[in-house]
Amino acid sequence: MPYMDLDDLELHRRLSQGEQEAFDELYRRYGAAAYGLALRLTGQQLLAQDVVHDAFLALWRAPQAFDPARGGFRTFFLSLVHHRAVDTIRREERLRKRQERASNLEPTVDEDVAEDVVEASFAGQRRKEVREALTTLPPEQRQVLELAYFGGKTQVRIAEELQIPIGTVKTRTMAAMQKLRNVLQEESE
Amino acid sequence: MNHEAMQELLAGYALRSLSGEDAAAADRLLVEHVPGCSDCRRTLDAFQLVSADLALDADPITPPETLLPRLHREMGPQARRRRPVYLVAVAASVAAAVTLGGFALTEGGRANRAQTQADFTRKALDFARTHNADMTPVGPTTEISSPGVREFYIYGNDVPTPAPGLTYGLWAIPIQGSQARFLGDFMPDDDGYFGLRLLLDPTGYDHLLITEEQAGIRPAAPGATKWESAPVTTAA
Repeated sequence: MPYMDLDDLELHRRLSQGEQEAFDELYRRYGAAAYGLALRLTGQQLLAQDVVHDAFLALWRAPQAFDPARGGFRTFFLSLVHHRAVDTIRREERLRKRQERASNLEPTVDEDVAEDVVEASFAGQRRKEVREALTTLPPEQRQVLELAYFGGKTQVRIAEELQIPIGTVKTRTMAAMQKLRNVLQEESE
Repeated sequence: MNHEAMQELLAGYALRSLSGEDAAAADRLLVEHVPGCSDCRRTLDAFQLVSADLALDADPITPPETLLPRLHREMGPQARRRRPVYLVAVAASVAAAVTLGGFALTEGGRANRAQTQADFTRKALDFARTHNADMTPVGPTTEISSPGVREFYIYGNDVPTPAPGLTYGLWAIPIQGSQARFLGDFMPDDDGYFGLRLLLDPTGYDHLLITEEQAGIRPAAPGATKWESAPVTTAA
């Protein structure tokens, strides 16, 4: 069976046995999502490349880090990319001055948006659901969520930037997460 | 702390947006409360799924063509899976290392330290849930163990860095007769965190000892005792 017809779990199993073709297929499936996420967080192409590079290399070198019992591969891998991107942002203080477009919700215009090229249909449908769910959030909740997730900022820093009490940041964060939880659970049922 | 405050912490934890005291409080919560609270477990799982889904809000962008060839150049053959017979995993930091019988296990790098910690915490919590394990303070560390189970965990937050040239040693102290058994050495990371997962047949051992040892030298006998565990439980 061609690699492109294998599901993520089988690809991961083969990757764990050292099959580079399985790695390449996972890269084809998730490279664009990973790079788009990393670029959104870091705002710099070179840093985003490093984040994606490190994440895929970690997958190759330690495939056992993915435990299928804990959820799907996409969830695992994009979480890994997010964690690495957040670590990168926090380590590189100079990124605090990154260009505004990195935290802009609008798609970047000078990059090759690859949604229709590599995405599995499920990811594409889920992306639509996530974006619709985000529109249900009040602006102040969405702002806090985006600063935390895509800005890689701590709650303390968010409170400083928005000049609001830390307790308000916590309350808005939880409210946003609960609302997304409810909306996304409904949509996946 | 009430449940609302706990779930606020869990929301921040899932987004990786906690720092300072909140991060420490979340770590404690994850070990001391969440394993026994089905409501918080469900909430944490749900928040982590939401966090993962948020990644999809970023537009997919084709990586540069040079990235995959760069990966191919650096991939090389996968390292053989190590199967140490005694200490099987270390999750801590750049500096963390456990040596035993020629094995030197290190995990991580600065960039994936948080991920490694999260993975370790997840495994420890799964173990605690599955085995209804006890959580016993050992100095600034916590031991997670269950009677009759040969797997257990030790982790610590805010563990002080040993003096220059020294490292922490982990020993199994026998009930009587034979010599203390050196299990390995470790260092907390920059945040004072370390985590160890051990496979240890508890038969014949009374307790664990954490000592200070000379770095880079395999000790013949325990050095200065820093912390001592409760007696190892050998039967259910």
